[in-house]
Amino acid sequence: MAFTFHGGIHIDEHKTTRRCLVETMPPPKSVSIPLSQHIGAHAVPVVKVGDTVDKGQVIGVIEKGLGCPVHASVSGKVTAITEKNAANGMKIRNIVIANDGEERLSPDIKPWGKSLADTTTEEIIEIIRAAGISGMGGATFPTYAKIQSALGKVERIIVNCAECEPYITANHRLLLENPEAVINGLKILMKAFGLRESEIAVEDNKLDAINKLENRLVGSKMIHVRVLKTKYPQGDERQLIYALTGRELPVGKLPADVGCCVFNAETCAAIFNAFAEGMPLIERIVTVDGDCIKRPRNLLVPLGTSFTDIMHCCGGLIRSLKKIVSGGPMMGVSQWDKDGVVTKGTSAILFFSEKAENRYEQPPTCIRCGRCVRACPMRLMPNYLATFASQGKLEQCEEFDVIACVECGSCSYSCPGHVPIVQYIRAAKGQINDRKRAQAAALANSQVNPEKG
Amino acid sequence: MDKTPADNQTPLTAEAEAHVPEVSAAPDSPEEIEARTNSFLPELLTVSPSPHIRTEDTSRSIMLDVCISLMPALIWGIYVFGWRVLTLTLISVGFAVGSEFLYEKLMKKPVTILDFSTVVTGLLLALNLPVSVPLWMPAVGAVFAIIVVKQLFGGLGKNFVNPALAARVFLFAWPGHMSTFTSPGDKLSAAALKIAETDIVAGATPLASLKNGVLPDTSLFDMIIGYESGCIGEVSALLLAAGGIYLLARRVITWHIPVSYIGTVLLVTFVFAKSSLPFDFALAEIFSGGLFLGAIFMATDYATSPVTNMGRVVYGIGCGLLTVFIRYFGGYAEGVSFSILIMNLLVWYIDRYSKPVRFGGVKVDEAGK
Repeated sequence: MAFTFHGGIHIDEHKTTRRCLVETMPPPKSVSIPLSQHIGAHAVPVVKVGDTVDKGQVIGVIEKGLGCPVHASVSGKVTAITEKNAANGMKIRNIVIANDGEERLSPDIKPWGKSLADTTTEEIIEIIRAAGISGMGGATFPTYAKIQSALGKVERIIVNCAECEPYITANHRLLLENPEAVINGLKILMKAFGLRESEIAVEDNKLDAINKLENRLVGSKMIHVRVLKTKYPQGDERQLIYALTGRELPVGKLPADVGCCVFNAETCAAIFNAFAEGMPLIERIVTVDGDCIKRPRNLLVPLGTSFTDIMHCCGGLIRSLKKIVSGGPMMGVSQWDKDGVVTKGTSAILFFSEKAENRYEQPPTCIRCGRCVRACPMRLMPNYLATFASQGKLEQCEEFDVIACVECGSCSYSCPGHVPIVQYIRAAKGQINDRKRAQAAALANSQVNPEKG
Repeated sequence: MDKTPADNQTPLTAEAEAHVPEVSAAPDSPEEIEARTNSFLPELLTVSPSPHIRTEDTSRSIMLDVCISLMPALIWGIYVFGWRVLTLTLISVGFAVGSEFLYEKLMKKPVTILDFSTVVTGLLLALNLPVSVPLWMPAVGAVFAIIVVKQLFGGLGKNFVNPALAARVFLFAWPGHMSTFTSPGDKLSAAALKIAETDIVAGATPLASLKNGVLPDTSLFDMIIGYESGCIGEVSALLLAAGGIYLLARRVITWHIPVSYIGTVLLVTFVFAKSSLPFDFALAEIFSGGLFLGAIFMATDYATSPVTNMGRVVYGIGCGLLTVFIRYFGGYAEGVSFSILIMNLLVWYIDRYSKPVRFGGVKVDEAGK
């Protein structure tokens, strides 16, 4: 029996690239590496313009706070350190490296000397931090910090290979082509947490990967393969934990609070690479697809490679491009800049024409069919939330638990009236959070002022 | 580019695993790729919040499904009551669509007749009329349904009662016309029309005799296939159920409202049967009158029914109880229209109190947050 959750939607999978072997992309002429690729502090550059850097060399460090160091993904010369608008509009400093094509590895890269049994938890966390590993499923939370905060609370580690977004096959290919790396990475994590058992969860649209893992793990009492029903958003960690354990993660809590810790499959592989070869996170598998691209494929891409280079590497465009999406079509971010770059969380780049949008010529109208209510994995009532949000009724939004929304987009996807439901909800959440912040600031002021007076 | 649906259930063979998609002929040169790519690059990319894809279902495809599911009942109506049925239906649908078009044009709103929701309203109104009504009645009813009930409250999805049912109840202002039922196969004799003209109520429907606690003359078989007197579209429980199954299969409706509605009527009329044969009585109750039409097509109207499954069950039970109440104690033999309209008014409260507990919600409360 496959594990699953309530609600959710069945989407056309479009997993065109599921049989495409992961190909190593010819190194681009230059890469532009953002100094912030995830939540937490921005890294500070430790190289200057004109410096020659090696592949894997540290080029940015975190001075204080949460964050991961940044490494050069090619060898070559630093040509610029410039501010650039990231996809979310934030200005982020980028280090631009012109590739000299020598693939010269940094001398710092050497395998961890000790065996896993002799390695302490602190050492494992340090290896992961130094390798700059952050969650590669999309949320990109720094992995070392996740482990630190979860230590002692976790009784189950779950490797997330649900890959429930359409189009993306990066994890699927990784499991088929390099299951060892995932399994060994998981073993390192188990050692760090001191756990004897763990689970790898895969959706049942990847039976070949499941077979492969099961064959590899025959007789293993340590690692169990769990088969999940194919349904979006199974890869959301709340739904994943619920499917496997029956535990519901309360709003605002972390998986560790219900005794679980979830890692992406590629993150596990990266941890193994850091341990076995000393290789920091400087490249990742990216699914390139969409109806505009000539040759959809899976590429192993150096971080910082621009979307234009990837577009050219995949045979270029074959119809008028409308939208570039970084990530899956359900939760990915549409790009305004075709020269955006691959970061640690970029699992796919999709090139869509107008057709993919599936526009409906009638004005968006809620016909109250209730499909969004059935689709919502958080058991909210998206139709009412959208109505209240569109009318600016924030109190009623809060009463209907708008804050619990995980923005998976199942409601907007399933709406036959093509109401932008999750978009309304996002706007309402933003307004509510702004107001809370303003209230907190006002409260702080009122507490300060009497003292002054 | 053709996307072949992935046959994901079959494990890949080793050969297939090594398969790399064919590149047509020789790969293009970098210059060719660049030139072609540049020709397809827009000046500005579209930036929009996720999700970037949508279901292929639209309001229109749903409304078309409803129209399709009503066709068996309509065709049966024509077979039983004659071609006049088609005339009435065309008038009703025509006036519904026409009045929506004119209203939206006059109000300078986007014209939405292509979403087919007015066609559904017109169809349902016609199916809810006796065949002997004068031709102006479906016209008046359709205009009332679309203008007063639907458009004045904001159009599709905003009306708080079912337009077709509200129009039907409005037409009860002419009770003689609305309560004259032709016998099946009568093809509307001149006599029947005359009766209608002179406001003489000729109540010979199975429901009328059930009201007096008498099992009807019509056999149960005739009631199920629909060879009985009644409104145009309500007679054949079998064909209405077939339409309902089509809607279920197409996921247009869920089972909750029809099953809870019909189930409640069956149960209550069985327990409180007015006859010494309670089972026969209860079966006659559910297969006669407008229960199947109401439970499957009218009570499930999206705009005027709850959105949660729990709410839909509550709503269906409410409709069922009210229907039996009106059939037993009301002035009319039939109570389906009235009970659905009354429950329509309660939908917001049902939704409000059947709001599901959000994922992880209980545990937060336990934690005392």
